[in-house]
Amino acid sequence: MSNQIRLKEFTNENIVECSNLTIVMGNMEVLSKASCSIPKNALTFLVGENGSGKTSLVRSILGLTPIKNGEISINPINGRAPVFGYVPQNIEFPKHLQMTVIEYLQYSAAVPLSDIKSTLQNVDFPETHIVSRITELSGGQVQKLLLAAELFRSPDILFLDEPLSNVDSTSERHIIDVIMEIKNQGVSIVIITHDWQVISVYANHVICLNKNIICETSESCICRNSLSKINIKNIQKVTSDPNSTHEGYCYIQNI
Amino acid sequence: MDFFEIFNIPFMQRAFLGSILLAILFGLFGTFIVPRKLGFMADGISHASLLGIAIGIFVGFYPLAFAILISAIFGFLLARVNDYSRITQDGLVGVFLAGGMSGAIILLSFMPGYRPELLSYLFGNLLSIQWLEIYGLTSLFILAILLFRIQWRSLVITTVHSDLAHVIGMPVTRTKYFLFIGTSVTLICGVKLLGIILVSALLIIPVLTANQIGRSFKSTLIATQLSGIIASVFGILLAYIFDIPSGPSIALLLVFTFISASIYSNIKKHKRIYQN
Repeated sequence: MSNQIRLKEFTNENIVECSNLTIVMGNMEVLSKASCSIPKNALTFLVGENGSGKTSLVRSILGLTPIKNGEISINPINGRAPVFGYVPQNIEFPKHLQMTVIEYLQYSAAVPLSDIKSTLQNVDFPETHIVSRITELSGGQVQKLLLAAELFRSPDILFLDEPLSNVDSTSERHIIDVIMEIKNQGVSIVIITHDWQVISVYANHVICLNKNIICETSESCICRNSLSKINIKNIQKVTSDPNSTHEGYCYIQNI
Repeated sequence: MDFFEIFNIPFMQRAFLGSILLAILFGLFGTFIVPRKLGFMADGISHASLLGIAIGIFVGFYPLAFAILISAIFGFLLARVNDYSRITQDGLVGVFLAGGMSGAIILLSFMPGYRPELLSYLFGNLLSIQWLEIYGLTSLFILAILLFRIQWRSLVITTVHSDLAHVIGMPVTRTKYFLFIGTSVTLICGVKLLGIILVSALLIIPVLTANQIGRSFKSTLIATQLSGIIASVFGILLAYIFDIPSGPSIALLLVFTFISASIYSNIKKHKRIYQN
């Protein structure tokens, strides 16, 4: 855990709190003085335009991307650091390893041979591809494989970067059911997505990142110019097609 | 002379033993270097280590010691490069290669007369391998195998999915330093057998050959080891029989096994398509 990420007992029900976070990539400020919190045992969606810093925020919480300023606090679970899980949006497996699906699960999550089938069935991974090499899988199959491995590791908090972007509609339904099931078991889940239909149906919380600047108050914010946490119950209207009404700032109207 | 008498000649025994140990180590390091697209690193480091050889010849003390020191420093510096550095590993290897080679050539130009031992370091020489070097190599082999055993999972996961390795708390940095410094030092240990010019062939080509026929990580790893060992042992035999340098002899056999594996793999693929 890096210096800027620390374990700290919270008095509230959050599992992660970020305060005044600034992330710089090269010469560009990806996130500027952003604050947000992720509630425990909830389904939180992270939304924002392309390049608004969603993935960078998640990666900095996971300790994968260094932060320039600010602090990330993690609430311990039963006195220990919570177990993180992460499924990135895109991953390019190296070609010259010839690793199979079974071997990937064994190495990444220590899945015993006897549990391989059920682990993959859990995420609707096609049985015919169990013996395939991981470089032969489609984008959707890779996402399912990564998710299967992460679910087997039983994380306390699971970050999913656009987990439904490459999967077909049948699998999408299945994966959402699996996510809801583990959420009900007490896992905190953070999903980066652009799918507002899914957000409007399932979200407990939404964190909206836009233009990388923090807003002063939630009233002045309206997901505009800011990274703000809003309760999904407060959203009265979600646009059916965010792109058509998008004005360069927000997806959400009339908070 | 009976063919099997070759195995009773002490320098051939040293060469066989050394080549088998080296082929195993090269196969292990290559398994993780090649998928990370760092083949050029091996080539660059071995060439740059010529500076160490030149320093050794210049001061009159065991040249490989200087070469090992220099390559270990280069390996360490390369491991320090990360996604946020202003220079890429590829770029830094280019700098080492140019700096090391030119430094060596300038240093050698100050030394009068013909330096026959230099050719041995450039292309490999079976006769030059000593028992003391075999003992040193055996110690390195045991240490490396132990370190591979300790961090095998970390090596595999950091190669397949480095983000995941971080998230699940693998010793990513330690593993990276082991891989880079270990590869650099092992490369130099192979210089007497293969020579600076061709030593990276034993690191890269067996992995590529195994990838033509392997159907899983495990089978590819086994095929890498077998192809490296077979090419090294037969390469030494050919070098002895035809009185040629051992480096080119082994490298040529490695290339031959790669071409054979590629042809076999293509025939098999076409057969499968035809049957379907």
